[in-house]
Amino acid sequence: MAVSISLIVNGEEHRVEIEPWWSLAHVLREELQLTGTKIMCNNGACGSCTVLMDGQAVSSCVKLAVLAEGKNITTIEGLAELETGELHPIQEAFIKYSGMQCGTCTPGMILTAKALLDENPTPTEDEVRGALAGNLCRCGTYKRITKCILAAADMMKGGR
Amino acid sequence: MAEEFSVIGKNLPRKDAREKVTGEVKFVADIQLPRMLHVQFLRSPYAHAKITKIDTSRAEMLPGVKCVLTHKNTPKVHPLDKFEFLLDETVHVAGEEVAAVAAETEEIAKEALKLIDVEYEVLPAVFDAEEAIKPDAPVVHVEHGSNLYFGLEKRTDKSYGPKEVRAPRTRADGYLPLEVGDVDKGFAEADAIIEGRYESPMQACVSPMPRAVICQWNGNNLNCWADSQVPQWINKDLARCLGLPQSSVRVMNTTSTVGGYGAKTPEKVAIINALIAKKTGRPVKAVYTREEEFVATHHRPSYVGYEKIGVKKDGTITAMHHRMIGNFGRDFFSATEIMSASAAATAGTLYMYQNLKFEGCVAITNIPDTGPMNGLGDPEAGFIVERAVDEAAEAIGMDPVEFRLKNCARYGSRSVSRRDVLGLSHDELELRPDWVNWGIVGPDFDSLPECIKIARDKSGWKKWKGWKTPVEVNGTKRKGIGIAIGMHMSCFRLYSAIIKMNWDGTANVLSSAAEIGQGIRTAMAQVVAETLGIGYEDVEILLGDSAATPEGWGCIASGGTSSAIPAAWHAAKEIKRKLFDIAAPRLGVTPGELEAKNRMIYVKYKPEKCISIAEACLRGYQVTGAAVNPSPDSIIDEKTGKVMNTYACVATIAEVEVDTETGKLDVLKLSSAHDCGRAINPQMVENQIDMGLVQANGYGRSEEMIFDKDSGVMLNPDLLDYKLMTILDMPKMDDMQDSFVEYPSAWGAFGSKGFSETGATSGAPAIANAVYNAIGVRIRGEHITPDAILEALGK
Repeated sequence: MAVSISLIVNGEEHRVEIEPWWSLAHVLREELQLTGTKIMCNNGACGSCTVLMDGQAVSSCVKLAVLAEGKNITTIEGLAELETGELHPIQEAFIKYSGMQCGTCTPGMILTAKALLDENPTPTEDEVRGALAGNLCRCGTYKRITKCILAAADMMKGGR
Repeated sequence: MAEEFSVIGKNLPRKDAREKVTGEVKFVADIQLPRMLHVQFLRSPYAHAKITKIDTSRAEMLPGVKCVLTHKNTPKVHPLDKFEFLLDETVHVAGEEVAAVAAETEEIAKEALKLIDVEYEVLPAVFDAEEAIKPDAPVVHVEHGSNLYFGLEKRTDKSYGPKEVRAPRTRADGYLPLEVGDVDKGFAEADAIIEGRYESPMQACVSPMPRAVICQWNGNNLNCWADSQVPQWINKDLARCLGLPQSSVRVMNTTSTVGGYGAKTPEKVAIINALIAKKTGRPVKAVYTREEEFVATHHRPSYVGYEKIGVKKDGTITAMHHRMIGNFGRDFFSATEIMSASAAATAGTLYMYQNLKFEGCVAITNIPDTGPMNGLGDPEAGFIVERAVDEAAEAIGMDPVEFRLKNCARYGSRSVSRRDVLGLSHDELELRPDWVNWGIVGPDFDSLPECIKIARDKSGWKKWKGWKTPVEVNGTKRKGIGIAIGMHMSCFRLYSAIIKMNWDGTANVLSSAAEIGQGIRTAMAQVVAETLGIGYEDVEILLGDSAATPEGWGCIASGGTSSAIPAAWHAAKEIKRKLFDIAAPRLGVTPGELEAKNRMIYVKYKPEKCISIAEACLRGYQVTGAAVNPSPDSIIDEKTGKVMNTYACVATIAEVEVDTETGKLDVLKLSSAHDCGRAINPQMVENQIDMGLVQANGYGRSEEMIFDKDSGVMLNPDLLDYKLMTILDMPKMDDMQDSFVEYPSAWGAFGSKGFSETGATSGAPAIANAVYNAIGVRIRGEHITPDAILEALGK
């Protein structure tokens, strides 16, 4: 039995008709066409589908969409400035220091990093590693991803 | 530094970086078309069974179901290289496709699967390779008649079907041999001999996003979006199976492929989708689940290796005998390539020896398919050989780094190519069964001792305290260090490129490569820009559109840097010649007096005389260049007159900490030095090295495909229970000491070579050898897990 819910995604409100058992990742991808959220394991084991819900990093493949009603959801599409196209410093750092290969885990890595830096703007390497412990990268790019997040933290010290 | 480069050697941002950090990148799974149907597969619960009855009528009546395919209404065609038909009456592995359902939604299609009634006659099955090659074992493919395989089907008659032709050099017992000297004599001369049975595990490719295919007909033409590393092969396979000319089948994957690591090769799914799309007149999409990615794609085969190595007291290897049996599963892709690569590289080239015997056997069993995975054949063989070589060094009490420095291959040492092992000529069509064309490794292979020395110095090898002696003991925790070396073909294949110059002096490159995360679009643009004297931002690369890009091999066998980039490089050189021909009369000089840089064509030594590249392009009206990678696998070394093979190499030293109470293993530091010929983009080189190391860690430590011993059903087809390495399983940044040496290759653009797969070869044995020095017991099995460590310690 379909239900109608309202989702606030990247600052915009959407009303969607969904089945109550659909995951947030499924609704974002299939109903809202926000395919920047990638599904790798589909059981909460890999962090690829990470989105921010009221600022917290959550695995959207194991989060029921109905439970996201009324929350502020940020997906990778919502990170850059919409009007100017200006990228978030974490995105800039990922480009500059090549923090990606095939790119599947990248949105989840970046959003996990955002949740970390919002809470802890000057993390140590160990704190970055701890935050990324649930994000798998099959291309093995962990070292440069760590480098990117620490570089982004540095870039953001200027108040960006 | 003699040469000055403007574009290569620089950490320029990846061409696909922005689309990947903003979520704009569209993988095939992300594409939706109007009126698209969704496909789901019914899969066999049995490892070997005959379908005696199949009734789909209830499924077909479910509202929303548009098409159901079974073996009864599907053409009897073999997907590329496969024994079984598209949908077969007999299933040979738990998870084999029994039926395909297309419906309005994924959920309806899943519901319909439950309404298909199937009766099976269960047949005897075999899962273990050594059991499978015994004469009384159940035969997996009855029509093949044996579980032994060495076929060269598609090479010999280009039919691309599973036509059986035995590899010309295969022995009657099913082993592929490679022999030099006299191993019996060699062992007689040895002061010490080690012997052992070692295992290397099956490893799942685990593409991050499960594969996706979309097919849509446009009249009699087929459009297929395939998340594949070889779109051109899918083009040919679809054309063959559907009876269409290649020109009517457009296979596209123009942005990026999700990492495949070898597994994203020809797709049975694409053929099934195309058939359904034809029957229904609708676009059809199939996206695999994570479980299907485990049970219905291909993975690295497991090997059992029987090793015997003879050494003299001074460290000289007198003889090596490797006998390897690979469990290649129900069906496979490139089995001959994998086993012959093991023979040619790790067994036949990595060490200097006088007497060698290699025997390799491909066994067919009822477990999921195997095929190329990152390193193709060399991680499989390397995990075996490098543990045995370590034991040989210990047998004469020699430091393992010194032992490898003394014995490792270098310029002039004996080498053989994969094709030589198989008895194939360079175009792979002509057989030459009677001889092996032994050659040497070229001057660039002096990088191997150099890699060992760099790894030694970066690892702090001085702390080594001798065999099976921890470098540090802290309560129940013991630290150990260990080394392994490795190599992989830097393969030369048919790749091609077309470059089109625009009137503003920018270039569009159409290449037969595929972007799979390795960064080929970036590296190729750097090489083309450098060659033409234009900017990196002036070059765009189009890949993966079979209607637009030229013929070639996609993304396989480290072919990007070794073959696809050279093709683009030669095409760019052709364009440069044409532009100089246009510019020379205008500048009143000969073409030989010109050079191109900063988007201008100058007269050498008189740079004020110049015209812009844009103007030359405009004057030329249409300036294009096209090239096929011209380099064969082997070329003649001018100095020695011998046939020279091309390979890339690596040395890795691991430092580990083992808790002898719990068996917990931490890899504290990895010092890995690679030969990449020349680093076109150093950050991307480092990423590719790390990919190998992370995957090698999982290979040796945690990635275990577990099958039920009685039913052959995979028990852990998900990422909670199939354990990939996380960031916490890898050393911290400063303890991932990635180095690369640049010994220019005689083949590639600006001396570069394909090196990306060598990283996967030496990581696992280096860790195993380090664990030995920490705990004093050798682990010769498939994984160095806490359980295996405790068992080795007798706990």
